[in-house]
Amino acid sequence: MPGAIVVEFPELFLTGLWLTAQLSVIGSLGALLIGTAIALFRISPLPPLRWIGVAYVEFFRNTPLLVQLFFLFLGLGALGFRFWTTDTFVAIFRAAAAGMALYHGAYVAEVIRGGLLGIDRGQIEAARSLGLSYAQTLRYVQLPQTFRSVVPPLGNIGIALIKNTSLASTIGVAELLQAAEIVESRTFRTEEAFGAVVLLYLVLTIPASLGVNWLEKRMLIAR
Amino acid sequence: MNPLEALRAAICATPGVRCDTWHLFVDPNIIRFFGEGLRETLLLSIASVALSFAVGLLFALARLSARRWVRWPAVVYIETIRALPVLLLIVYFGIKGTALFRPIAAPIAGEDFELSRFWAGVLGLSLYTSAVLAEIIRAGIQALPRGQTEAASALGLTYVHAMRFVILPQALRLMVPAMVGQLTTVIKDTSLVATIGVFELVRQGRVIYTQYFNPLEVFLYVAVIYFVICFALSQASRRLEIQAPKEAKVKIEELQLRDQVA
Repeated sequence: MPGAIVVEFPELFLTGLWLTAQLSVIGSLGALLIGTAIALFRISPLPPLRWIGVAYVEFFRNTPLLVQLFFLFLGLGALGFRFWTTDTFVAIFRAAAAGMALYHGAYVAEVIRGGLLGIDRGQIEAARSLGLSYAQTLRYVQLPQTFRSVVPPLGNIGIALIKNTSLASTIGVAELLQAAEIVESRTFRTEEAFGAVVLLYLVLTIPASLGVNWLEKRMLIAR
Repeated sequence: MNPLEALRAAICATPGVRCDTWHLFVDPNIIRFFGEGLRETLLLSIASVALSFAVGLLFALARLSARRWVRWPAVVYIETIRALPVLLLIVYFGIKGTALFRPIAAPIAGEDFELSRFWAGVLGLSLYTSAVLAEIIRAGIQALPRGQTEAASALGLTYVHAMRFVILPQALRLMVPAMVGQLTTVIKDTSLVATIGVFELVRQGRVIYTQYFNPLEVFLYVAVIYFVICFALSQASRRLEIQAPKEAKVKIEELQLRDQVA
């Protein structure tokens, strides 16, 4: 029984669940911040900013997250950059969180850019002729409407992010998948260990995707 | 000293930057070594996509079936697999693949049958990708006007014939851009197979940096290789965007977002 093995190794599974949850939340917030900033770069009237935006999105979307994680932890580690900490475990966790935010930020940026471009030009023109500055138009007219319309696609990225936190195990974060591997190697009860972690992942992702579906339906009605 | 040399000198003076290993990346032997990794990466991708397409097509048709006992298993398979991390599936097959397949393969391959790491990786990748492709195929079929199915059955075509000659040829054309897009995701995902010991690009990179202690350079180099392939494919996918009905495109794009990120 998968349940039994969780009770036998509570600290491993619960730590795993906790780290997966932490990575998901920190990664999502970071991705949202980075994504919004890059989206603003991409619609900026200044060409150099637009180029930075395009380069960022294309680079991070077209390279594997695994390579990005290795680069952040091992590559930057070789340069002596340890994410402002001497504790290796903290450094690994921070590298993983940074990787989640950077990688998914590129996808978030595209969604938000789509949302910003979806706003009727008349609204922007109206705001500008009312005397609002470029920044004020963004802040009070464009972004509030955008965030509403992009909630369902952002939710989908969030679900992908929860699943992708499993890659943190490859650089040594003791999240859920790592917990399964440790328990498996101690007990050789592969099905139970992986079954337990499968259930824990489903507990995280299925409510999230039901929530996204519900939001999608509500958005359709609101439109 | 010209500015370029000055820049190089400044970069090389940074502790941790291994300029003394830069010549490796243009060395024919090292390029051949990475080339072997790249070949493995591409073979993994092709095998996974081919297997996933066949399985995905079956599950897409099953999910569209009018019979509940056909539809429900497909829904459970697709939704469960899509909710799991692909790395978990790969690691699982890496550990248990041989034990799972020995009973089936033993009569043909003998008692000492071992599932190679390559095929364990392909299985893990395909299990996940088949669920994703099933959803893309379903969206493509559903995007066709209902009249197509009705006209086919009015003409007396059986289900199989209607699918084979009317629905799938049209639906698959709608899906081409999405499929090519998904291929970039599969290529990126093959990097995960490095964790179970297949010597594809990332794993070859690891061999190099453990020998020369230059992870920074190696992972940049590997990232650039992935970037060139995936960027070319995603541009191609954009070019292939055909005159599809708008709703169909939106539906497929939304679906993709979640699966492409993974």
